[in-house]
Amino acid sequence: MNKLMKKIMISVVLTGVAFALYQNFSLMPEYQGLNEGLSNYIIKSGLNDTGSLNLITAVLYDYRAFDSLGESTVIFGAVSGIVLILSRKMLPVSSKGLSFIVKRALGIMTPFIALFGFYVITHGHLTPGGGFQGGVILAAISIIFSIVYGSAFDYRRYSPQTKTLFETGGALTFLGLGLAGILMEGAFLQNLGFLTAETGTLISAGSIPYINIGVGFKVGAGLAIIFYSMIQKTFEEDF
Amino acid sequence: MSWMNIELILLITLPALTAVLMYFSRDFNQRVRNFLAVSGAGAELYLIVSLFIYNFDQVKNSNFFLQYTIGYQDTPFVINFAMDNLSLLFSLIVTGAVFLIVIFSTQYIKDKENRYFGLFFLVLASIQGTILTADLFTLYLFIEAITIFTTPLISFKKTEETTRAAMQYLFYGITGGVFFFISIILIYFNLGTLKMAAVAESFALISTPMQLTIIIFFLLALLIKLGIFPIHFWLPRAHSACPAPISALLSGVLLKVYLYIFMRLFWTMIAFDFLVELHLSAFVLDLALVSSLIGHVFALQADNLKKMLAYSSIGHIGMILAVLMLNTEAAFYGGMLHIIAHLMMKSGLFLSSGYLLQTTLSHHIDDLKGIGHKNRLVFIAFITVCLGTIGMPPLIGFVSKWYVLLAFLKARHFFGAFVVAAGSIIALIYYLRYISQAYETVKSESPSLKEELISLKAFFKSTNTMKSVIYTFTLLIIFFGLGYQLFEIPVNTAIFELLNPQKYIELVLGG
Repeated sequence: MNKLMKKIMISVVLTGVAFALYQNFSLMPEYQGLNEGLSNYIIKSGLNDTGSLNLITAVLYDYRAFDSLGESTVIFGAVSGIVLILSRKMLPVSSKGLSFIVKRALGIMTPFIALFGFYVITHGHLTPGGGFQGGVILAAISIIFSIVYGSAFDYRRYSPQTKTLFETGGALTFLGLGLAGILMEGAFLQNLGFLTAETGTLISAGSIPYINIGVGFKVGAGLAIIFYSMIQKTFEEDF
Repeated sequence: MSWMNIELILLITLPALTAVLMYFSRDFNQRVRNFLAVSGAGAELYLIVSLFIYNFDQVKNSNFFLQYTIGYQDTPFVINFAMDNLSLLFSLIVTGAVFLIVIFSTQYIKDKENRYFGLFFLVLASIQGTILTADLFTLYLFIEAITIFTTPLISFKKTEETTRAAMQYLFYGITGGVFFFISIILIYFNLGTLKMAAVAESFALISTPMQLTIIIFFLLALLIKLGIFPIHFWLPRAHSACPAPISALLSGVLLKVYLYIFMRLFWTMIAFDFLVELHLSAFVLDLALVSSLIGHVFALQADNLKKMLAYSSIGHIGMILAVLMLNTEAAFYGGMLHIIAHLMMKSGLFLSSGYLLQTTLSHHIDDLKGIGHKNRLVFIAFITVCLGTIGMPPLIGFVSKWYVLLAFLKARHFFGAFVVAAGSIIALIYYLRYISQAYETVKSESPSLKEELISLKAFFKSTNTMKSVIYTFTLLIIFFGLGYQLFEIPVNTAIFELLNPQKYIELVLGG
């Protein structure tokens, strides 16, 4: 009976909150289309300002580059926090992995996955994608290795120290480009003018591709580190 | 062209760079690492102090203003960093406290220092970013960053209790962040901009129910983060589970940063009149006072030294928030002074309790028997700071509480005045409980006071670094208690900013 009362009370409160929220959110102004607001400005002059065909990348790494720097710092902090909490000195115990067929097939496929990851990273300013997305694809390789070939396979080739180096290298690339912006263009994270080239080519859009590469390495290595510190813990518990 | 005001960016990137450096310092000599950490925090302190000194004339005339813009100057979505007198005051006190806490941690933290200091400096970077930014989205980013960086620091010791506290902290922190984010989205949909100054200019154009929703979500977010009464229970657990320097950082420094955000949002960005118009200010005032009372009462029953200190933090923060909601000049003066006082006192209390608790079995009151005999001078410092928190005359706690009380009386708000006085008396009781327990005689031999004084010769040895930080805090509390007029200029100019938000808005929008 008591439980029932509790449930009824909770549902009454939740309904009330939902109703209040609905009342207020129905007051939101209608979506005004592209004629007004910032999107119009970006579509008009984003290409001119940044030289990047992918306007999302232009916003992420040029207009609001500082926020992206903050976001990648959050990833850096989250990775080091997770490693701090979960770190064990034990090596992950290797499982034997999946069958020979899967191993062979993935052996052929992985280079192409890596190529695709690098493509997404380096063409971030031309086609959809960018550092964050490509980095996740690179991290997926690491996870595939651990599932298909057993967890020690990747661990032996790229130790956590190497991955940390990659990660911090990415962060420092971003920060370094920001400081270079101060020295050369006079403002933090300003797009480097001498790197601009004809729009649409691979090496164009100023410092955006290089920031993309830095972020890509950072995200890829960071997610791989998180994955490995998490499976480390489960293995220790299992045995 | 904009070499100007590059200090603002340096204030944020310098700790971030130090953090990356510290992260790789595992193989370094301990001495080198400590030197790096202290010099990283020292450089930050030097930067902000030199900013204060070089611009002292402008600060005095309260027209100090620095601005740094990132991005294309004429686009509508540049990122602004602005520093006025209010930000300068907060940046100054926060950096000073963090500098002392870093010195303390170099001796206190014994393992995994590289990750500890990496995260610590990231927290410092995000605190500076929070204080300096003039853009709502960047503010949100830095608030989230603070939550994410402090969570692993809370569970630094990796026991079941600390992990639970950290998870709870993360959950409530993220929830608060989500509320904040909802408000930001609503503002963007209504006004199409996230610059604080631009929002301030056109906030009156939003329809009234929408204004109410935005303000309520901002209030919810900040009340969760400040640990005001209905949602306060995460705070004592989180603040007592972590190592002592982190407790000092969370309780002494971070709560003040959230108070700063509160002021920035509700005085500069959303004019305070909106809160009064919507009948929210009186509600928040009463809520904060109740929270203050409840914090003190809960501190009375806490049998864990650090938990007691954390509950007392709830009491003080509630009082500060309440006095700020009075929205008079006298109230701001008292509130600001108490922010400074509480920053010093709570950091000092947590650091000295961390030092004292190193030798005891647990944090429980029964295990504290005789620690007053073992560490005489440190415990005398602890008692001095306790007296400051209660509000004894020559200490800064008295001065600030006095002005808070005066502000309440001037506004004819007698419940507030009652809470201030009652809080002091309850605080006296719960501190005395611990102090009497600490002087309980135990059989073991302990050095006499004379011997302890002789050992002062070893004062400057590295083993005593922790003690000297505690003494520094105590002396600062005594010194500023006698010379609180030193804060007259920075506090008064900060109040000027609160009362005249127009200046900030015009200067930011004017580029």
